[in-house]
Amino acid sequence: MTATDGLRVLVVEDEVFVALELECMLEEAGHSVVGTAASSVEAIALGERLRPELALVDIHLTDGPTGVAVAQALSRLNGIAILFTTANAKRVPEDLAGALGIVAKPYSPRSLLAAVAYAAQVRAGAAPERVPDGLRLTAG
Amino acid sequence: MSEPMSAAGPAGGGSFAAAFRSSPLPMVLTDPHQADNPIVFANDAFLRVTGYRRDEVIGRNCRFLQGPQTDRDAVGRVRAAIAREESIEIDLLNYRRDGAPFWNGMALSPVRDEAGALVHYFAVLTDISPRRTREDRLTQARSHLEQDIDDRTRALQAALDQKTALLHEVDHRVKNNLQVISSLMLLKARRTTDPAGRAALLGMADRIGALATVHRLLYTAGDVSRFDLRDFATDFGSDLEAGLDGDRVRLSLAVDPVAVSASKAAPLALLMHELATNAVRHAFAHGRPGRIAIEARLDGEALLLAISDDGVGLAAGIPNPDGFGRALIEMVVRQMRGAITWDDLSPGTRARILLPLDPSERRT
Repeated sequence: MTATDGLRVLVVEDEVFVALELECMLEEAGHSVVGTAASSVEAIALGERLRPELALVDIHLTDGPTGVAVAQALSRLNGIAILFTTANAKRVPEDLAGALGIVAKPYSPRSLLAAVAYAAQVRAGAAPERVPDGLRLTAG
Repeated sequence: MSEPMSAAGPAGGGSFAAAFRSSPLPMVLTDPHQADNPIVFANDAFLRVTGYRRDEVIGRNCRFLQGPQTDRDAVGRVRAAIAREESIEIDLLNYRRDGAPFWNGMALSPVRDEAGALVHYFAVLTDISPRRTREDRLTQARSHLEQDIDDRTRALQAALDQKTALLHEVDHRVKNNLQVISSLMLLKARRTTDPAGRAALLGMADRIGALATVHRLLYTAGDVSRFDLRDFATDFGSDLEAGLDGDRVRLSLAVDPVAVSASKAAPLALLMHELATNAVRHAFAHGRPGRIAIEARLDGEALLLAISDDGVGLAAGIPNPDGFGRALIEMVVRQMRGAITWDDLSPGTRARILLPLDPSERRT
C-alpha cells in the first residue's frame, strides 16, 4: 500500500454538520468514512467493530470531554492512527493519549486534509518530509 | 569574700548605697557565695513593683518571681550568664505577689572587688509591660493583616480562575461555532447546482475561513490582547495557495511580525482576504499565469498593507457584476480609518492601504 491510498476513517464528532461536512470532504479526497460516532461509548464500540485505519476525534462529545478516553481506548487497538480535531487543545494530555497530533478547530479543509495525508504516510511507515502547518504534534 | 550585708542594704552605707536604696528603679543584690545565690538587698522600688515585703524576699533566690508563662529558655540564658559570671540584659515575664504578670526588662551584672573576684550579682528591673503590650498588639495586628491579605489573595485567585475558565469556555464555543458555520456553508455549496449560487456560498465559506483562522490564532499565545499579522498571513497564505493552480499563479509573502490589537484582527484578516482573492479571481482569468504578492510592514506610525499582482490590470479586468469584494474592502478600510490607493503597475495592479496604529502596536 502507498501513502496516497485512501484510508478507512472513523469520525468521532458530536456536531452533526461538522461530522457530515468532514465526511464529504474525506470522501472527495479519496478516503472512506466507515462510521461516525457522537459519544465515547459509540466511538469505542465502532472502533472495536470496524477497525478503521484512522480516527478523527473531537474532545467534547455528547457525554462530556470524553475524547481523550476514546483516543486512549482506540490506541490500544492495533493499527489505528488517531488525530484530535478540537477547539480545546488544552485538554489533550502530555502524551497525546496515544494520538499522532492535534488539528486545531476551526480548521480549513486544506489543513485537515494535509493532516490526514500526514497520518496516512506515518501509518504506511513512510517518514513524512514535513509536518503540515495545521497539525500540532505536542500537547498544551 | 565580701562582708555580708544587712537586710536594709549594702553594708557600710555610703552615698552609693543610699542612692540604690532611694532609686526609683527596682534593684536587687544577690550573694553567689551563699547557697542558691539568695537576695541580700532589695530597694523599696523593687518591693513596690513586685508587691512583696522585704522579709519575704531577703534570703530567697530570685526565681520566686517566675511563673507559669515565664519563658524557660530565657531563664536558662540568665542561669548560663550567672554560671559564666557575665552580665545579661533580657526580657522576662515575671509575676507579682498577687499573681499578676509583668514584663521585666532586667539588666544583671556581676559585681567584683578590686582584685576582680566575684562579690555580688546586681540586677536592675524595669517594668516594660506597656511596651510589650504595644508590641504584642502590633504583632497581633500584623498577623490579622497577613491573614486578611491571604484571604483576599485567595478570593482574587478564585475570581481569576473563574474568569480564565469562562474565557476558555467562550473561546471554545466561538471556535466550535465557526467550524459549524463553515461546515454548513460548505454543505450547502455541495448541494447547490447553480454555479453562481455555489460560487457565492464558497466565497462566503472562504471569508468565514479567514475569520476562523483569526480565532484559531487568538488566545493561543500568552498575550490575548495581541494578534500577530505574520502568523495570520502565513496560515492564510497556505490556505490561499491550496486553492491556486500552483504552477500558473504563485504567491509570495513579505509580512513583518506586527502585533496589532486583537480588535483589529478580524477586519485586517478580511481585508487581506478580499484583496488577495480579488486578485486571484480577476487578474488571472483565462489561464493567464502570474504572481501575487502580499506585503505588510510598519510605515512610520501606520501599518502598510500592499497586495499586488502582475495580472490584466484594473482597466482590463473583468467587471465584477456585484462588486461585493471591492465594496467590502472600502468599508473595512473606512472602519479602520485608513486610506487605500490603487496603482496601475502595467502589467498588474497594486492596492496600497495605510492603516493608523496605536503607539503600543508599532513593535512586536
